[in-house]
Amino acid sequence: MTQAPGPHLSPDDIDRWLDGTLPPGRANHLDACHQCLELARAEREMAEQIAALPLMSPAPDFADRVMVAVKVADPFAIHSLDAARRRLFGSRRALAVAATLTVLLLGSMAGSIAWTLGNQDTLASIGSWLLAQGAQASWLALRGLATTVIEQPWYEGVKVLAGNPARLALASAVASLAYLVGVLALRRLLALPTQQVAHAGL
Amino acid sequence: MAETPEWARLTDQEVVLQARAGLQAAYRELIRRYERPIFALLFRMVRDRELAEDLAQETFIKALNAIESYRPEFKFSSWIFKIANNAAIDHLRRRELDTLSLDGSPHAETPEAMQATALQIGARQESPLDTVEAKELGGAIEAAIGRLRPEYRSCILLRHVEGRAYEEIAEILDLPLGTVKTYIHRARNELRLALAHLKE
Repeated sequence: MTQAPGPHLSPDDIDRWLDGTLPPGRANHLDACHQCLELARAEREMAEQIAALPLMSPAPDFADRVMVAVKVADPFAIHSLDAARRRLFGSRRALAVAATLTVLLLGSMAGSIAWTLGNQDTLASIGSWLLAQGAQASWLALRGLATTVIEQPWYEGVKVLAGNPARLALASAVASLAYLVGVLALRRLLALPTQQVAHAGL
Repeated sequence: MAETPEWARLTDQEVVLQARAGLQAAYRELIRRYERPIFALLFRMVRDRELAEDLAQETFIKALNAIESYRPEFKFSSWIFKIANNAAIDHLRRRELDTLSLDGSPHAETPEAMQATALQIGARQESPLDTVEAKELGGAIEAAIGRLRPEYRSCILLRHVEGRAYEEIAEILDLPLGTVKTYIHRARNELRLALAHLKE
């Protein structure tokens, strides 16, 4: 009697043998080991019998019954709103909280409107006072800014330039030209490429 | 009007994209592709035709209503089998079932209900004699599968009836690959022992 090569087949080996992926080196073991061959054949027979079990189908109207309860996706739906709505109406507690918040919000809005209508004089005087304070603050800010500009070392140069109309015109022309060049450069940078991209398949 | 795609040429992932775009026919195509395997798995898990239909319906409704949450990098089949298997396991945990009756649901109360819930064997066989023999052997296998632990049952059905790869079964059942292999091996062993008397 010949000696079977290698150890007996493991369950993994038998699975590989059933799938036809057992390496020939290991499969040779079956030629000489009656015990493993019998086990492998029994496993194969079992697998084949299970695979041959009859096909089964649900009732013919199965798909219709499923579709009655399926909500077909709406690609244009705003899912965050859907989720919020589901959460809102998900339980009685959530609904009660939402209702309370709505009542509070509407109540405070109504109270605010009523108070405004009943205290128009007070509101008008507060408005006048705020306007006067704002105007005073703006005037102070403008004065401060003017003082700061006058104190700058370059102020005298600007004053001389503004005193000579020819120089002023020249400076304006240079500034306009620089602005125009800047705009053109920016436009060129932001323009879309006119050539096709090789891998895009357009 | 949008053109109707040739469904047979589309992968599951492509059909799901059509469903997400709001095409009702895509939902029906997904049902058409999976109603038989899902129903067969559930029937063999719970051993009651009516109940299996209810669970299959529940599975599809759950899956199709959550189609937006399906991640296309995973196989659609794994996803829907996972939902179905969870439905079956949840049910089995809630309610211990009797052994398989080929004559109908153990919960059927009238002869009509027994008939309505009986296992309907398909027409793979050719002659009446073949049918009888196959029904005997098939029935014995069904009964033996019905007596396996639910985890073994899921594994063996997914492997040998549905032809799923070990890796996919591990994904469906949330089990380590080694555990799946062990379960399948043990399940085959138990089935072989349970059916040994047929060989004698």
